[in-house]
Amino acid sequence: MASAKDATAPNESLANDDIGLDRRLELFRLQVEIRDCEKRAFDLFLQNLIKGTSHLSIGQEAVAAGFGVAMRKGDKSFCTYRGHAHTLARGASMEGMLGELMLRDIGLMRGKGGSMHLTSVEHGVLGSYAIIGAHLPIACGSAWRAQYLGEKDVSVCFFGDGTTNIGAFHEALNFAAVWKLPVVFVCENNLYMEYTPISEVTAVKHPAADRAAAYGLERIVVDGNDADVVYRIALAALEMARNGGGPSLIECLTYRHSGHSRADPAKYRPPGELEEWLKRDPVVIYRERLREFGVKQETIDAVEAESKRKVEAATEACKASPQAPVELLTADVYADGGWAWRN
Amino acid sequence: MAELTYRDAVARGIAQEMERDERVVFLGEDIGKAGGVFKTTVGLYEKFGPRRVRDTPISEQAILGAAMGAAMTGLRPIAEIMFADFLAVCFDYVANEMSKLRYMSNGQLACPLVIRTGNGGGVRFGAQHSQAVENWTMMIPGVKVVAPSSPVDVIGLMAAAVRDPDPVIFHEHKALYAIKGEVPDGEILDKLGTAKILRPGRDCTIVALALMVPRALAAAEILRQEHGVDAEVIDVRSLVPLDTQTILASVAKTGRLFTVEENPRLCGWGAEIVSIVADEAFWDLDGPIVRITTPHIPLPAADHLEDLALPSTSRIVDKVHRVLNG
Amino acid sequence: MTSTIIMPQLGETVAEGKVLAWFKSIGDEIREGDNLFEVGTDKVTIEVQAVVAGRLSEIRVGVGATAKVGEVVAVIGGDMTAKAPVRTEARAARASQWRSPFEEVSTPTEKFGSSKGPNGVRITPLARRLISEHGIDVARLSADVARRGATKVDEAAVRAALAERPSEPATPSVVIAPPPKPADSPPPEGAVISLNAVRLRTGERLAENWRTIPHVFQAIEVDFTRVDRVRKSRKADFQATHGFSLTFLPFIARATCLAISAYPQINARFSGATLILSRDIHLGIAVDLNHNGLVAPVVREAGELTAIGLAKAIRRQTEKAKAGKLSADDLLGGTYTISNNGAFGTTLTTPIINAPQVGILSTDAIGLKPAVVSTPEGDFLAPRMIGIVGQSFDHRAFDGAYSAAFLSRLKLILETRNWDEEFPSDR
Repeated sequence: MASAKDATAPNESLANDDIGLDRRLELFRLQVEIRDCEKRAFDLFLQNLIKGTSHLSIGQEAVAAGFGVAMRKGDKSFCTYRGHAHTLARGASMEGMLGELMLRDIGLMRGKGGSMHLTSVEHGVLGSYAIIGAHLPIACGSAWRAQYLGEKDVSVCFFGDGTTNIGAFHEALNFAAVWKLPVVFVCENNLYMEYTPISEVTAVKHPAADRAAAYGLERIVVDGNDADVVYRIALAALEMARNGGGPSLIECLTYRHSGHSRADPAKYRPPGELEEWLKRDPVVIYRERLREFGVKQETIDAVEAESKRKVEAATEACKASPQAPVELLTADVYADGGWAWRN
Repeated sequence: MAELTYRDAVARGIAQEMERDERVVFLGEDIGKAGGVFKTTVGLYEKFGPRRVRDTPISEQAILGAAMGAAMTGLRPIAEIMFADFLAVCFDYVANEMSKLRYMSNGQLACPLVIRTGNGGGVRFGAQHSQAVENWTMMIPGVKVVAPSSPVDVIGLMAAAVRDPDPVIFHEHKALYAIKGEVPDGEILDKLGTAKILRPGRDCTIVALALMVPRALAAAEILRQEHGVDAEVIDVRSLVPLDTQTILASVAKTGRLFTVEENPRLCGWGAEIVSIVADEAFWDLDGPIVRITTPHIPLPAADHLEDLALPSTSRIVDKVHRVLNG
Repeated sequence: MTSTIIMPQLGETVAEGKVLAWFKSIGDEIREGDNLFEVGTDKVTIEVQAVVAGRLSEIRVGVGATAKVGEVVAVIGGDMTAKAPVRTEARAARASQWRSPFEEVSTPTEKFGSSKGPNGVRITPLARRLISEHGIDVARLSADVARRGATKVDEAAVRAALAERPSEPATPSVVIAPPPKPADSPPPEGAVISLNAVRLRTGERLAENWRTIPHVFQAIEVDFTRVDRVRKSRKADFQATHGFSLTFLPFIARATCLAISAYPQINARFSGATLILSRDIHLGIAVDLNHNGLVAPVVREAGELTAIGLAKAIRRQTEKAKAGKLSADDLLGGTYTISNNGAFGTTLTTPIINAPQVGILSTDAIGLKPAVVSTPEGDFLAPRMIGIVGQSFDHRAFDGAYSAAFLSRLKLILETRNWDEEFPSDR
């Protein structure tokens, strides 16, 4: 794994680097791996090896990576059906993630949940939620537990711009603010609520940040495609929560390169918009950032090559994996492992 | 032994569990300082303090969502939804979230919480505050559903619900809050998934729930005295898990089944029991199975109309003896 | 060495069986061939034997419980740590074990019959089960209930019927009990004779048939002289070959079958408002059980048999009847019946039709009588073997003309057929 020692030319900005090369390389690695893994998911879907639906995060890697590195082990994350990136960013394996999308036994939930419900408690991923807004109050509950037990973990909740108009968003924000809960609400504003521009359906310009004041919270809008920016704001919000300062609401501006889901060719985008945003591709930005900080090309190439190798290995492992045994059909409805509703 | 009202039994059941287990916390609207709109949680705030007994905003989704998040990460929350009708406001958490969490996560996540709610009619609150909705919750795979009919059952089943590792929806009946019953001293712990034969009999089996239980018992007494019918009355108590064995054994003995359900007719809880009996116990049946229910209408506020709608003792008596002697 | 005993294949469409009884207990030493348990399905009850020897170490399916074909029912030679049977009742509690989610409710596999009784009266499921379990005659019970003006047979009606029963062991609803021996001396005057179960049931059926079927009787005089000539010439040989006497009955039966093929409505049964013609002739032969009852065992596919074949089949059924060895199959499915009273010397008998058949033949004594014989030379009186052949028929099925035509044909066959051809041609 690359480290600070690989930098050849000391750079001025290194001296003022609050992030540090180790973490920078981590940020880069995560974004590259998320990108490569999501692109592989795209291909596997076309090959009908991934069935059902799949919501890709291509173009939104920086938010996941920024928070992924900022969060500690023990912090809890809750995300939406567009949760592949957040799951990988917390350290879940590629074969677990891809395997779940392919509905194989090797998947994180052995195929029981599918793409929209990625869960890895071991990595702090406490579920991906498909009903818009449902997990915001749930994140509040997790934060309440931390507050009650005096535990120091923070609950982080990721959602899209469309979520800001549903009832549960408002209930959760108010609830978290009133109880001063250690929860961070992260809105990935990718400008589109499914197929409709968010601006057409929201009363305010910034769907999350412009609501913060309603709950007594600070208005925060950041460039969601710069992993360093995301990382810094994440650290600040996490620390505030951890120290009893209460919740934050962070709006990260970003863009998704593909459609809402695999079924969506995204023809509703105005011409030129995608191209503009591709110039702000987070992976491209961060590759450049690493060079600015003197990271050698070989190091960068090694990370990217390793990522591709991992994706290949994961793909093969998933293709080789059988599907879950049929007993799983009725397993784990209840705590006793079964499904009996009668005697 | 003491005589306790149903509403005081609620407070006692919650207190018993909160004393026993530090992880048990309680949230809801006006439950703390006010002691609950039905005075069911009087004294808990004073005893356990604002850290464990928390008043919330009017945010049913947040109440259930927060209970769920807390349960998933280590606490054993009790959440109040003031009127059972309001379950419709936060039904996503019952139907889509807590009920499916364990299954979708392949057993990684659990949700050991209790939703307690004021269910049922007969109190003149009108159509949106009087419904018996235990059947709504019965139909969702992955939750457990109980509806006690007496103070002792309130305490015992509350304890069982809190200790159960699955999400339990605890339907208290508003019209029963004032009734009194004998309650033993000390810890009371009952079992989910168990029905009780409150009155053994030979001629027919009457299965009832919550408010319908005392009415069925009163009807059984009249049936015996005035019509010579010896009815066996079963309090179902637990819809999920369902104690089918007690019901099937009873029907094997009597050959006749009646259900008394407060739910409006369609898809009332009794429909499922009737279908199980008509299937498994077909060769034990000596006559048609009859459901005695509220008609399939919204409930009126006017007292004389509401009393007509819910199955009354006299309606139960009338139906049972007419069907048996027809 | 451990061996498992599995639920055997019990029939093509049978998927599971219920253990009715265990003949061995855990710990018993089993020899190869020992009866282990009895299993029943809705079609058959069989005993399952051990195919290996050893100590019975485990019973997994107890009395009253059901197992699928192929499922392990018991273990021989396994670990002897005492294990209680996993299931001892058909409805034993099932906690979170893997079982089919498509069988959340156990539909019963037993069938006890339809909810409509033979006379249209309704029968509750519980009553049906009790009727089957106690071997009650459902036709009689339904009739009793209808007679009382009630509309259904329920548990109370069955319990009442059970209470009235004479305390004899439960007999199956098909009449196959052996006839008692004839009394050695005539009963004293004024004695009360209790009717036995066979007579009671037969009597009830006869009364029902008499009451519900519009009987019309026709008779025709038949000249049996030619039949008799062949019968006499073949008699000794027949007795030597087959060990019993050659009577007129096989000839009559043969002629009846031949006549039926020309008049198929004779060989039919009623089903509601339809008359179902039967392609095969399953001939019931009324057999008197030593004056102690009457049964009509059936000769199946009688139409395919020659006179000799019929003679043998009739003999077989008659012997079985007299020995009390008739099975349900022997008594059901008849399409036409012959009541042969010749042995008693009577001239004419009007028999009662065996529903759901639509006709019954009676034959009486055949003997020498003066008859007019027409020849080209003129009409002469001569002694001829004459007998009356009659038919009671169901007037709803066909009219007198049809019945008469059938009888005429029957007469023609009996009087003109080359009966020698029925016998082996070496003589």
